[in-house]
Amino acid sequence: MRASFQEELNLLEATLQEEGAFVLRALRGALNALEQRDAELADEVIAFDDDVDDRYLRLEEGIQTLFARQTPVAGDLRLVLALLHMNLHLERMADYCVTIAKLAKLVPEVDPGPRFVEGFEEMGSRCEEMIRVALDSFRDRDLAAAESLVDLDELIDRANRRVVKRVLELGEDPALREYGIWMVIVSRALERIGDHAVDIGEQTSYLLTGQFREFTDASHPQPREV
Amino acid sequence: MSSTQRDTISVDVAPVEIAQRRNVTAPEQLDAVFDVRDLGVHYGASTAVSGVNLEIYRNLITAMIGPSGCGKSTFIRCLNRMNDLVPSARVTGQVLYHGQDLYGSGVDPVEVRRRIGMVFQRPNPFPKSIYDNVAWGPRVLGMRKGLDERVEKALRGAALWDEVKDRLKKSGLSLSGGQQQRLCIARAIAVEPDVLLLDEPASALDPLATASIEELMHELKRDYTLVIVTHNMQQAARVADMTAFFSLEVGDGTRTGVLVEYGPTDKVFTNPTDKRTEDYVTGRFG
Repeated sequence: MRASFQEELNLLEATLQEEGAFVLRALRGALNALEQRDAELADEVIAFDDDVDDRYLRLEEGIQTLFARQTPVAGDLRLVLALLHMNLHLERMADYCVTIAKLAKLVPEVDPGPRFVEGFEEMGSRCEEMIRVALDSFRDRDLAAAESLVDLDELIDRANRRVVKRVLELGEDPALREYGIWMVIVSRALERIGDHAVDIGEQTSYLLTGQFREFTDASHPQPREV
Repeated sequence: MSSTQRDTISVDVAPVEIAQRRNVTAPEQLDAVFDVRDLGVHYGASTAVSGVNLEIYRNLITAMIGPSGCGKSTFIRCLNRMNDLVPSARVTGQVLYHGQDLYGSGVDPVEVRRRIGMVFQRPNPFPKSIYDNVAWGPRVLGMRKGLDERVEKALRGAALWDEVKDRLKKSGLSLSGGQQQRLCIARAIAVEPDVLLLDEPASALDPLATASIEELMHELKRDYTLVIVTHNMQQAARVADMTAFFSLEVGDGTRTGVLVEYGPTDKVFTNPTDKRTEDYVTGRFG
């Protein structure tokens, strides 16, 4: 039994979970900054990205060392490869949180009505749920939970389409229209975060089954083996 | 239809699919050199190996891996009847070589060993010249015509010619360990075998000599079918097309080698089917 190797694997997995928890904090901060028009909080979210990047780099380096020195195979190999991909997905999610925080500082002082803000709160909550499901299903090695991310993602996609529709209904006022354009980008960022959560679920599926499989694919509406 | 209208995209293949269409021959297209059926090897009352079923395919490198004492060396010795030389050994089951039972009546063990050559863990050149080491087999078998060419061809085949062509009369023992092992491979291929069995051919060699033997194996598989026993799992992962994992079944005072899993090497090292294989290749057992 390679005790130190197992410890290194455990440490890498714990670092990934920590990075995931950081992404959840960044997302909550970005949503609050947007909702409350809190520029200070937005700046905090932007600065906090350094902490996410720190975990990202630690994982990258740890994985590099593990490949160089331990030559993982079989289940260990699949775990390390899955960590490598999940790490990148989490880092991208954090970047989208930064995008939302930056936009929170740009939005003009207009009142688009409560439905708008509620819409984002709903999308944001669903994103948080998806990130939790992605991280927990990986931790618990739970294939069914990982696969459930597809259904959760569909809800975010629908919400994204609703935002676009509401933006089109905002009318002629230039300030409202500018607001609407920024909000389309926010909505898109949240939708992408959901996609990355699904991708993490796919990595869990690969880890557990040894099969690379996209849960959904725009060019192949039915789930398929690739 | 206007000329500016885009053609419908009809290519229904994602890049990942192209990348995954690897140049691997499907098992049904492979030509089985050996078909081993329910093979068992017994030494007196004890059973060393039992219940082995597998096919070994032409022009592939097949690796046998497993913990010490699991019977992998015993197994490959059955493939050229080397176990005949152990008085207490008894082989049960069948080893079909191109469809013919190797242990059938009327099969000449010497002819079997000409067709199915063997290279051992420790290089064991004869205390003779480099030339005579390689020429020995052909001479014994009466292949005396064009002996010089035959020796050169074998030494070239073993990637040793350029290093020894100017000192063929020097002793085989004057060579380095890696060179001696390649000399043994040259000796084995000089009699134009069909199969080469390699029993831990690099375990007594340094990393550079090991790399040259592994490189040579890739060259040799164009002309021969190779079966290698190795303790070095990474060596199996590097060189083998197919990998067989043997393990020990410990019973009431008995220890028997069994074949646990056999499949394409990348499957065995990325997604093994059996938990025992997973535990062994990841270093959690053995």
